[in-house]
Order: sequence, then structure tokens, then C-alpha cells
Amino acid sequence: MINNTIRGIKISSICAAVPDNLVTLEDCAESEIKNNEFNIAKYKKSTGVSEKYLCIKQQAPSDLCVYAAEKIITEKNIDRSEIGVIVYVTLSPDYRNPATACVMQYRLGLSSSCIAFDMNMGCSGFGYGLNVISSLLATSNSSKALLLCGELAGQTPARKYKDLSDYYLFGDAGSAILLEKTGSEKDSLTIYSASDGSGFKSIITYGGYVRHAEAPIESKMDGVEVFNFAVDKAPEMIKAYMNDMGTTPDDYDKLVLHQANLYIMKQIAKRTGFPLDKMAVSIDKFGNTSSASIPLTIANDYGKDDSDSTKRFLTCGFGVGLSWAAVEFTISTKDVFPVIYTNEWFNDGFTEGC
Amino acid sequence: MTEKEKLALLEDLLEIEEGTLNAETNLDEIEEYDSMTKLSLIVMAEDEFGVKLDSATLKGFKTVGDILAVLNK
Repeated sequence: MINNTIRGIKISSICAAVPDNLVTLEDCAESEIKNNEFNIAKYKKSTGVSEKYLCIKQQAPSDLCVYAAEKIITEKNIDRSEIGVIVYVTLSPDYRNPATACVMQYRLGLSSSCIAFDMNMGCSGFGYGLNVISSLLATSNSSKALLLCGELAGQTPARKYKDLSDYYLFGDAGSAILLEKTGSEKDSLTIYSASDGSGFKSIITYGGYVRHAEAPIESKMDGVEVFNFAVDKAPEMIKAYMNDMGTTPDDYDKLVLHQANLYIMKQIAKRTGFPLDKMAVSIDKFGNTSSASIPLTIANDYGKDDSDSTKRFLTCGFGVGLSWAAVEFTISTKDVFPVIYTNEWFNDGFTEGC
Repeated sequence: MTEKEKLALLEDLLEIEEGTLNAETNLDEIEEYDSMTKLSLIVMAEDEFGVKLDSATLKGFKTVGDILAVLNK
């Protein structure tokens, strides 16, 4: 695995947003896929998912990210001209081109001298995105950067799951993370990253793009292979991280895992020595929201905590690629905003398909 | 571990009555043998028997006996 340490950079705010469109698993079973054989109670118990939020027709996850970013900028009175890097981590960009991050730079009123691009990463995207954006910020003449992680995981033509267990699992969300250059030695981010492309077929949407343009747009996931990968590689990386940092689970307030599936998360906690009450869980409310899930979970747990206490999180994301990444950081609860529920969307002027 | 003990472990994992399974039981006939149970089987095989089950092995299981055959301790 590759280890990066970026000095003089800190995460200074976290905000997350979901559509104001609650869907329960019972709703899914009733209205979207008829299957009386499917045991919802058992599914809830094992995956942890009870409900989720899905984008309304015109809404994209970028709308959720922009809303969350706007909240940070407004509430923290951030000078927009100081934001020099904006990176959007997503598997569901608004368009094939241009990069959605460029549109977001425009929508947020950021400077045209801003670096803006998308990263095609899923469940490991929080760590991967932090790595890229903090490296760019550290070596730039800018003082602030915005990492946006958003996914339309729960519903899209690309998500016509044939496997019901996958269909019920995913939700939609967007998040915004503000990073600041402090120059202080005590502010640093150490990020562990790895990938194993031999497992590229384990989670894949191959139709409708360049190599298989005529094939149907369908996501496929080999649940067994993904499970074996997750409960093997994530604990290995977390243990290596703690070993290198000289930490134990006692040193962290929470283990914040990508909200993949409660059963997987419990296995990872067990294999890394974290008691279950130290593992943050939001999959019950939001489902699996890919790269947005780690910041969303932190916002869900601490967004309403105005105690101004500093929390230390160890996070690990793992999934499509296959890829995985771990990073720890501290943040004050006053810098974590409550989860926003919104159906706002961006009218780009095109009417086709809306 | 005897075959009877392994069957008891499987019955416990599937949350079905003791004595329900035998080696000839067809997995297609067990309603409880679903995708989530397969993940529990992977964990049980590794924790109890030190056996790693991959996707191809799991897909190859047709009967309870096929599972018992790989759970050697």
C-alpha cells in the first residue's frame, strides 16, 4: 500500500446532504420491485438498511454536494476566492463531459483560477479524494480546497439491479469537506491507499460506455468476492495504519467505515479490535451511499453536537476498483454540520430527458 | 469435528431446526440459504475451519454434503 503524509493541511468543516425523499424498504418492495419471496426483516437485520433517501427525478448528487458546500461557505464565512481546488469524487457525474467539478466551481461562484476536476472512484473515494486534494493544496499557492463526494447509488438507469439484495442496499447522498492550509506541523493527514485491479469485474458497470457501447447499462456486483475482499483488505490496512501510527482502538472516538453493509462492517470491527459501540453506523438511515458515506456518517453522528469537543476518527473506505484507503483525522464537533435534507436541483437549461 | 457436529453448525447458521439437514439435502430446497447466509458461511468456514471460500467454490455447492466436504478440521 502507498502511504502519503501531507503536512500543514487540516479538515476544517464537514457537511452532508441527502434528498428530502425518504424511501423505506417496504416502499421499495411495494412500488418498485414485486417480490413476495424477499424477506425484508431478515435483510434489514443482516445489512442494517431500513430506509434511504433517493434523488427526485431532476436531481443529481452534485446538487447535494453543492448545497452542502454552500452551507459551509456561508456559515463559516469563507472567502470564495481563497478556494483554489475543487475535486468531485463520483461514479455518477452530471455529464459525460465536461467534468462536473467545473460546473460546481461555476455554481459555487469560485474563482476561475480554481483547479477543478472529477475523480472516478466509489466507496474508497473519501480517502482517495483526500489524498489527491490535500496533496494539490499543499503544493499550491492556495489556502483552501473543497472535496465533494456524491453518489446516485440508489436509483439511475445504471442501477437496474437484477439482484434484489443489491437493489435495496443503496441510497443517494452528497457531502462537502473543506480543507485548509495551516502550515502547522501538528496538522497533517496520513493516508494509506491501495488498489487491486484484478478484481475489476467484482463491481462493474460496463455497458453504455466506450468498450461496450451497445451493451445495457447495468451494474454488476459479485457479493461474495466483494465480501472476501472487504473483510480481508480493510482490516489488514487498518491494523497496519494503527501499528505505524502507534495507536490502538482506544485512541479513537469512532471507527468510521464506508457504510457498505452492516455485516461486513461488524466483521471489520471485530478483526481490528474495535468494540461495536465504537463503530459509527448510519447505513440504517441512508443505505450504502458510496464515497459520501464516511462524511455523511460523521455528519449524522456529530452534526447536532454543539459541544465544541474535538473528535478523532479512523476511517476506511473499500470497494469498486477494487480499491481501498484509510485515513485518520481530528475535527471539532462545531465544524460538523447537521445532515441537510433538500430537493433543490440545478436547472442547466437543457430540457431533454427532464 | 464429526459430520453430525458440522450439520448442527450449519443448522445453527441457517437458523433452522436441528436434525433438518443431511448430506443429501439439496441447497436449492433450503429457503434460508440466501446471499446473506452465504456470507455467514464464509465467516464460519474461516473462523471455525480455517477454510477460505471464494465465489467459484460457493457457486459449486449443490448439496449440504458439498459444504461438509470442504469443512475439514
